[in-house]
Amino acid sequence: MKRPLAGVGILIILFLSQPVHAGAPLDTVQENVTKVLEVLRDPALKAESAKEIKKEKLRPIYNRMFDDVELSRRTLARNWNTLNTPQRQEFVQLFRQVLEKAYVDKILSYTDEKIVYDKESLLSENQSEVPTRIVTSSKSIPISYRMIMKDGLWKIYDVVIENVSLVQNYRTQFNEILAKNTPEQLLETLRKKVKEQ
Amino acid sequence: MVRAMKWFISALLLPAVLSAGCAHSPYATSFPAPSAAPPLPRQVAIAPGPERLPQQSPEISAKSGDESPLVIKKAVKEETAALSPPPESVKSNTEMPTKSANKSITDQEFLDYTEGEDEEKKIGIADPLEPFNRAMYHFNDKLYFWVLKPMAQGYRKVVPEKARIGVGNFFANITFPIRFVNCLLQANIEGAASELGRFVINTLWGIGGILDLASHKDINLSRQDEDFGQTLGVFGLGQGFYINWPLLGPSSPRDTLGWAADFYVHPFSYLTTWDVFLGISVYERINDTSLSIGDYESLKEAAIDPYVAIRDAYVQYRQKKVKDRGVQPEPPKPQGTLSPAVEEASP
Repeated sequence: MKRPLAGVGILIILFLSQPVHAGAPLDTVQENVTKVLEVLRDPALKAESAKEIKKEKLRPIYNRMFDDVELSRRTLARNWNTLNTPQRQEFVQLFRQVLEKAYVDKILSYTDEKIVYDKESLLSENQSEVPTRIVTSSKSIPISYRMIMKDGLWKIYDVVIENVSLVQNYRTQFNEILAKNTPEQLLETLRKKVKEQ
Repeated sequence: MVRAMKWFISALLLPAVLSAGCAHSPYATSFPAPSAAPPLPRQVAIAPGPERLPQQSPEISAKSGDESPLVIKKAVKEETAALSPPPESVKSNTEMPTKSANKSITDQEFLDYTEGEDEEKKIGIADPLEPFNRAMYHFNDKLYFWVLKPMAQGYRKVVPEKARIGVGNFFANITFPIRFVNCLLQANIEGAASELGRFVINTLWGIGGILDLASHKDINLSRQDEDFGQTLGVFGLGQGFYINWPLLGPSSPRDTLGWAADFYVHPFSYLTTWDVFLGISVYERINDTSLSIGDYESLKEAAIDPYVAIRDAYVQYRQKKVKDRGVQPEPPKPQGTLSPAVEEASP
């Protein structure tokens, strides 16, 4: 009886100690980006008509990679508090759709680009930044992922493209909108934005 | 003669502007955007009404400041949990005021989260010229879609990508004095040396700068994108406020002055007359655009308010550049050895 328990104990220790491992954020990004690239490069999905299938396949990867709520909360910052719970839920959903529509075509268009991973840096004990570069024929685009660890998982809460933080950029926009409008009006703007595309 | 006058004027102007600017701390002049100003206005009046109770917000934030980090962390968890249950529409109205105190704690926690977050908070710019700037945004937008983009597309059809990259390299190589001088002004000796090395290598062996051999992983001298606007930033001059110039796009008093100063170091301003310089600049712009068609479109597409999005991107980008002086932005590491992994995407 004692041995299995010891085994479980070791397993638990291994499991618990894993997130503290220094390479974890980088590994997580790398693992997920590799999965994304697998979908993008899948020869069976090369046809233009397979675009929707690709999108479907990318969604679960996105869910594993990103912390939607954290991203939304940081984007709205103090304005987050002016939204009630259902509004927050809707905001998270809408914002996610806005981002998907904005970036999915760009992501699907990647072909011969190379991705280089640089050394991650810890921002605090549970936050980390993983710098990467997308190297194309004419330039190299730095993209950093800011990550937070929750429940032992590293998830992305901000993407910094060419030194411009996505969260910060939308925060400025939402700040201006919410200075003159109610949260409901902001949600309406987002609903329209999601529909129009 | 003319050149001497130019120098004289700039020599007169610069110290004046500098001394005016140096009274401030580096980012003191970059006020938060107007909208960011109202402190936690609708904090308490959460659910339906626009009625505001601003006098309560300082109290709440003061309170939250006293909370220990542990409590704050707990509050975050609670809040995330609070998201999952289905909406309780009527009830939430009455409960909100007490809840909001908790929420402002998480909000505080969120804003002061890391140093990185804190710095981000300071990013922002005053925009007193917003009506003019917005008009110019629309002008530049039309200019892009009606003139610049069609020209760049036509040009792209005729000239192969490799040649266009070569042209881009050539122009970048020519403007070496700007980067070199600004590296020196920022006391970035390493950067200046790197620029000098790049210029020699690319001019002599890169066919007059058409090939960027120096960026190759074996030589590994990266371009130091330093300009006088950044130099002024390093000296402590803030952006001031936002100006969106017709044709030239996003800028500020500081960066506009930077352009003017860099113009005097630009070799073409000595070698050619200004109308030729203008023609070359237009060509350079078309060449650049041909290599980045789609970037502006996707930026605009992604934005809720494209004008604000571009303004913020500009401010963030410039601030980061000033902060990163002397740091090699993206050293191309030898693949497979230093970088943990290299993903090779084959078409």
